[in-house]
Amino acid sequence: MAHTDVAVVGVGYSKHVSKRRDVNIAEMVWEAVSACYEDAGLKPKDVDAICTGNMPAFEGVNIPELWGAGHWGAYGKPLMRITTGGTTGGSVAHGGYYAVSSGLFDTVLCIAFEKQSDGNSTMGLNTVALADAAAMFQQGVDPGFLAAFGGGAVGIAVYQAASYMKRSGCTTEHLDKVSVLCRTNAALNPYSHLKQPGLTPEEVAKTTLMQYPIRFGHVCPATDGACAMLVTTGEKAKKLIDKPAYILSCASCSEEASLMGIAGSGTTNMDPCVQESCKIAAKWAYDLAGIEDPRHEIDVAEPYSPFAHQLLMFYERLLLCDDGEAPAILDSGSMNLEGDLPVCPSGGVISTNAIGASAMERVSEVALQIMGKAGDRQVKKEVHKGVAHGWGGAVNLNVVAVLSDTPRRS
Amino acid sequence: MEYKKETRAVEGDWPMAYWQWKFESIALIAKTREAFKEKKLLGLKCPGCGLVYFPPKPYCYCLARPDKWVEVEQTGTITTYTFTGAWAYEGISEEEQAGGAPMIICGINFDGSDTLTVCLLDDAKPEEVYVGMRVKLKWPEVIEGRVDDIAHSEPLKE
Repeated sequence: MAHTDVAVVGVGYSKHVSKRRDVNIAEMVWEAVSACYEDAGLKPKDVDAICTGNMPAFEGVNIPELWGAGHWGAYGKPLMRITTGGTTGGSVAHGGYYAVSSGLFDTVLCIAFEKQSDGNSTMGLNTVALADAAAMFQQGVDPGFLAAFGGGAVGIAVYQAASYMKRSGCTTEHLDKVSVLCRTNAALNPYSHLKQPGLTPEEVAKTTLMQYPIRFGHVCPATDGACAMLVTTGEKAKKLIDKPAYILSCASCSEEASLMGIAGSGTTNMDPCVQESCKIAAKWAYDLAGIEDPRHEIDVAEPYSPFAHQLLMFYERLLLCDDGEAPAILDSGSMNLEGDLPVCPSGGVISTNAIGASAMERVSEVALQIMGKAGDRQVKKEVHKGVAHGWGGAVNLNVVAVLSDTPRRS
Repeated sequence: MEYKKETRAVEGDWPMAYWQWKFESIALIAKTREAFKEKKLLGLKCPGCGLVYFPPKPYCYCLARPDKWVEVEQTGTITTYTFTGAWAYEGISEEEQAGGAPMIICGINFDGSDTLTVCLLDDAKPEEVYVGMRVKLKWPEVIEGRVDDIAHSEPLKE
């Protein structure tokens, strides 16, 4: 299969906080984009195309690139927007990868962002749930009854967490420990949102229960933030920087939604923690990347985990261990910054969730680890290969990217 | 909420009534709802892969058309659950909850079907619930042929 090597040569972030009142969307994204150009040593004239994405429903601003093109160096360039829910950023990175690997373009700027404070995220989630909700209302179901079942991502996550805990033996103490792992890593990341140095599992266990088994301490914040990433051909990357991070492969796989099987998304997916599509996407990605033994070949993992149990669940579904082994691996300390296979050294989505940006930040964070530019959150071991993941879409799209310090065909 | 003081809210309508599922899906569910009145659960079986959809669905994920009506058992197994109460909203703490006993919501795989249905579990305490627990449907006193006729379940004593 014809394939041009693709490498990340620059990464840029805006500040990530709850509310950016000093900038609008276009200006906030500009911060990430300008930092990215500077990081790669490129100018807008060097870029051949733009790939961008966010979840417009959350800000209530549709076609935001109409507003921002001038701030992003996009005038006079091919531009494509990708929106796939929680996986948006991952899909944007895939879009950049496809554009370069196909040989269509040499250098592509990937932009992913969310400015949640501008809109109403609950309303945004309602628009996402419309397909299910409309079917229910049409059947004469009382909206109050529907609301009681818990909607949106938390609604799905609690069911997923309960069945995952049953399957794996994961306890609520493990969930507390995941929050500690991520939030203390986040304290080392200047671009993270919730930094909690010195956080203890006991403190997490004392936070308010939202819906069993998820407490406030187990859930991501709503973040304003943007991420930009420059990808180019392997050939150009070598001329630009000493240590580019090559994207070896991208794969995605979707399932039907896994709850509320009335008419709309009725499904035979009975257990929301199975996530077979993640295993399929991971297998495809590893195969394409020439990775036979991900458990030993992968040096760092950034699973998409806005809820604590998901870090462990997706660690398993990314084939980094057998089903049910992740809680014990967490206990062993292997997931820490100095561990054998550090997980979410960035602090992960549970610490920072600018929704559209989150899945691309998994890719950019793995890239920074490979480039050795992750600063205080750089893991102790040498990083040759890493895996980045996203989960979202119809609550069951999984996207996986494998990155490396050496190109695919060397 | 705080942000409303900072940002400008624009009044508007969201005409959800216009957003409807096509007649076919509705007709299928209507048949199932009618069967509730006889205390029967009707599912639809796919000729392509043999999966039984309850509630019924006009298209299978294998893209064949489920077309055979089959009766699904009224007993089932909890595949996942959560419980919630007043504290789940607006950050009210567990001790302060006003709503009385927490509401237990579970995903039930009714015997003879391959799908999950979301129901409330009555007559059980949160600490008694587990994945794999056997339950049975609890019909309301008056069955009206509505989707929420099957909203309640209770532990199955075998």
